[in-house]
Amino acid sequence: MHRLRLGILFATQGAFGAPGRDARRGAELAVMHLRDEGKLPFDIDLICAEPEGSSESHVDKVRLLLDQGCRQVFGTVTSQARKDVIPIIEKHDAQLWYVCPYEGFEANENVIYTGACPNQHLLPLFDTLLPRYGKRVYLTGANYIWGWEMNRLAREIVADAGGDIVGERCLPIEETEVSRLIAHVERARPDFILNNLIGPSSYAFLRSMRDLAGRNEHFNPQNCPVVSCDLTECELGDIGLGVADGQLSVASYFDSLNTPENLVFENRAPSDLKRSSFFATSYASVRMCVSAVLQAGTDDPAQIRNALNAKVHATVLGELQFDAATNHAGLPFHLGRVEGDSFTIVKSLPVIAADPYLTRSRQTRATGKKPKLRVVS
Amino acid sequence: MTFTLNFIGQQCVILHRSGETVNMLKRQLSVIGMTVTSQWEPLDLKLTPADVILVDADAGWPGILPWESGSPQIPLIALLASEAPSRIKWALELGASAIISKPVATSAVYPALVMAYHAHAVARQQAEAREILEERLRLRPMVMAAVKQLMSEANIDEAAAHRRLRQDAMQSRQTLEHAAATLLARGKGKAAI
Repeated sequence: MHRLRLGILFATQGAFGAPGRDARRGAELAVMHLRDEGKLPFDIDLICAEPEGSSESHVDKVRLLLDQGCRQVFGTVTSQARKDVIPIIEKHDAQLWYVCPYEGFEANENVIYTGACPNQHLLPLFDTLLPRYGKRVYLTGANYIWGWEMNRLAREIVADAGGDIVGERCLPIEETEVSRLIAHVERARPDFILNNLIGPSSYAFLRSMRDLAGRNEHFNPQNCPVVSCDLTECELGDIGLGVADGQLSVASYFDSLNTPENLVFENRAPSDLKRSSFFATSYASVRMCVSAVLQAGTDDPAQIRNALNAKVHATVLGELQFDAATNHAGLPFHLGRVEGDSFTIVKSLPVIAADPYLTRSRQTRATGKKPKLRVVS
Repeated sequence: MTFTLNFIGQQCVILHRSGETVNMLKRQLSVIGMTVTSQWEPLDLKLTPADVILVDADAGWPGILPWESGSPQIPLIALLASEAPSRIKWALELGASAIISKPVATSAVYPALVMAYHAHAVARQQAEAREILEERLRLRPMVMAAVKQLMSEANIDEAAAHRRLRQDAMQSRQTLEHAAATLLARGKGKAAI
């Protein structure tokens, strides 16, 4: 093999532009570093396609990448786009690397999942928050699969813990008019808020939450935080620096991590750049892919999977391992508090094996029946 | 559906010739947490216990399943490549409540399981409810007899007798029909109300 062609398929404009740009930059940096290290017996062509937000565009662009000889494709930001491109990836027996946190309930043989699923973000998050802040929870999200499924799962976790969902509101994806949502949140007076809004909608919500905290002390982040599972460094500037201070987010990587591998990474990455989990995961994924190609001597998906599963990977996220049954990476859990343009780590857990269908992480609900009393007629 | 259906440890039997379809199904069902076996011969649930069956509706024959027709004992999912109405009818008659098309897309497996388990549970609940209603209908003459007995014993009108019987049923946490049967069995003059 003389050249390895890697396809990049992240939408870098629109509601998900910021994570998409970071993921793409992470992949580009990985290839740059690999070339600099000079140990590769082949050259790497990084072929970047720019899908607009729509399903059709993702389908067209993934076809284009496959036609150009890419069998390993890194991409899609949203679950919707991932589901759109999977049939084409399967048809060509190619491989998709999905690097973003998502809502689980998927394990496709032709997809390598390096983004966290709920047992790696939402479950440990609620294990931490429910005892600390209380069991009255408000759910908000964007009207698409991420918001719906995350909120459904959160409702289940809170019910199991004997808590209450005191309100739930979903907004259209690009909606930035949040005043009714804020009024509803204020009336509900929850102990904390799970934010599954995305992009500009989420930024507008976080800005209005700061205004609300200004007039109602209950909503200070130290009393009633807004918590997200996908808010990263790359969006803090768009929200406005300082605006989201004190709010919480979960990720498998933060720029501020004080680990040996992250300090090495910091020295090699551009100094003006705050590194998000999208950036770092994409960087790590490209490196793992190339190392598997080196080992297998081919970019054939089945052989890449075998090579990936055969070893523990030293990455910027820490040591990662894949589960051969689900193609998901085990990932660490970090809870960060927004401070300026960065996150202060408030809690970390070692690598959690992925459980996309929640077959191990949650006990089956007790089936003991309560006596039913009723009026007879 | 509010709660995540959990398939951990559930036994799944695939009735299909071995090959790519079976391999893909086995992989995905294991990921979901199930124990999977496959065979291409009639299934005897005593020898091979199962919580759900996936049957090849393209080539399945009468007798491959442990029931003839109507309501299946456990959830049944049809594996189907054919669009022929006769094969769809075969699957429906045996009580299939979900279909997985062949060639199998892995994303079709979990939704089909959820639908089949749900439909099976609903059908069972409805059958139980129907059984209860039918029994109550059968016992209705006893209620009439018990009301008459109370009327003559306590010298009260029909409405008052019915009220008493209802009260008795609620206190003893029985249906009206069972309370009536109990009262009649105790015999005259022993209506402990």
